[in-house]
Amino acid sequence: MSPADNQAFVDDLALRHLDAAYSLGRWLLGNEQDAADAVHDAYLRAARASGTYAGGNARAWWLAIVRNCCLARLAIRNKEKRNVPIDKDPVIAERWMPQTDLDDVEDRVDSAKRQRLITRRLQSLPENFREVLILREIEELSYREIADVLQTPIGTVMSRLARGRALLQKALADHATAQAPYGL
Amino acid sequence: MDCKTAHDLLPLYFDGELDRATGREFEAHLDECADCRAALIELDALRRTLREDAPRYIAPETLRARIQKHTVTRDVPASSRLAPRRWLALAASWAIAFAAGGALMTTWNHASNSGYAQSQLTRDLFVSHWRALAATSPVDVVSTDQHTVKPWFAGKIAIAPVVQDFADQGYALIGGRIDYVGNERVPVLVYRHGKHLIDVFVLPQTITAAIDKPIQSQGYVLDVVNLGGQPAAIVSDMGQAELAQFTGLLSASR
Repeated sequence: MSPADNQAFVDDLALRHLDAAYSLGRWLLGNEQDAADAVHDAYLRAARASGTYAGGNARAWWLAIVRNCCLARLAIRNKEKRNVPIDKDPVIAERWMPQTDLDDVEDRVDSAKRQRLITRRLQSLPENFREVLILREIEELSYREIADVLQTPIGTVMSRLARGRALLQKALADHATAQAPYGL
Repeated sequence: MDCKTAHDLLPLYFDGELDRATGREFEAHLDECADCRAALIELDALRRTLREDAPRYIAPETLRARIQKHTVTRDVPASSRLAPRRWLALAASWAIAFAAGGALMTTWNHASNSGYAQSQLTRDLFVSHWRALAATSPVDVVSTDQHTVKPWFAGKIAIAPVVQDFADQGYALIGGRIDYVGNERVPVLVYRHGKHLIDVFVLPQTITAAIDKPIQSQGYVLDVVNLGGQPAAIVSDMGQAELAQFTGLLSASR
């Protein structure tokens, strides 16, 4: 493949899976600016390394680069002990489609609450459990693809996924029992 | 199957990573074990919560624009940035005359070469399809299960194709084989639609199939599709409408 073809391949790949890349960055880094910068880094890195792509699942190859760029940013952040704004209220116009019916207001507040809760619970999981849950449940990658993204054996993917699910289930259940008295 | 084994297999079953035979054994156990059923329901509830309630982040337009800026600036030809000084103009005009002549030759050469490569490629694809039709069996691994076909390729070839069964839509996966296109070994997914046999050649990135509309040859049609980020060529004797439908299914799979 010529350099120009490589370039076109990376451009196409990055733009097609931009939402998945950004979403992964957002979950790993916790805010919009860092996530966008990490994806941009990843694009530049992918463009430079396009010659090394050796076939296989292209989406997994691209997400692996995105993830590495996110982890690099996290490492710097941890070293500098920088205080970084993590989305406090990720509820997001992104999801709120304009609705005219006033009766829906309550529903929307409810769904906003649920979003906030699940986001907080996910963000409080250790990062290696969080990322595997996002890749499997939200991005719907197979075990093989996740293993390619994380560059770990499939066995590790499976054990992290099981542990992550158990932790999240527990966190949500704890919340439900704590909430119950107010709910009644 | 005892409960301990079933418990270990539960997430694999839930994630669609069990092979069909083990899946059936697992389901048999599920029928008689309330604990495993409950665990499965919990997994499903968690997934539903995540898919419905976790925010789905959409890349901001500014990020898309930042990346698109790179793709656009690259398209500006290098020559537009050159501004030769006046005293160089004469010398330059000679150089340009040479360069232009050379470039013209190269382009011409390149164009005819790639045209030749293209026709060679389509020829390979059609011939491979016909040979498969003439053989006793068009498939090397017979399976209607995507989880059997995909790993079968894994041991034999560098490309891991996206394998999905569309039996519900009328395009049943019947297996796979390995074939040659040019001098590359490529995976071929074989589907059946009514009486039509469909070959899907998953091409490596090195083979660019610059086909913008379906090509016909002796009643067979060849079309290209993007299969999970990889170029793929479909060869069959289906009609246009059916081919378009199948192309749609393939390009939506991942």
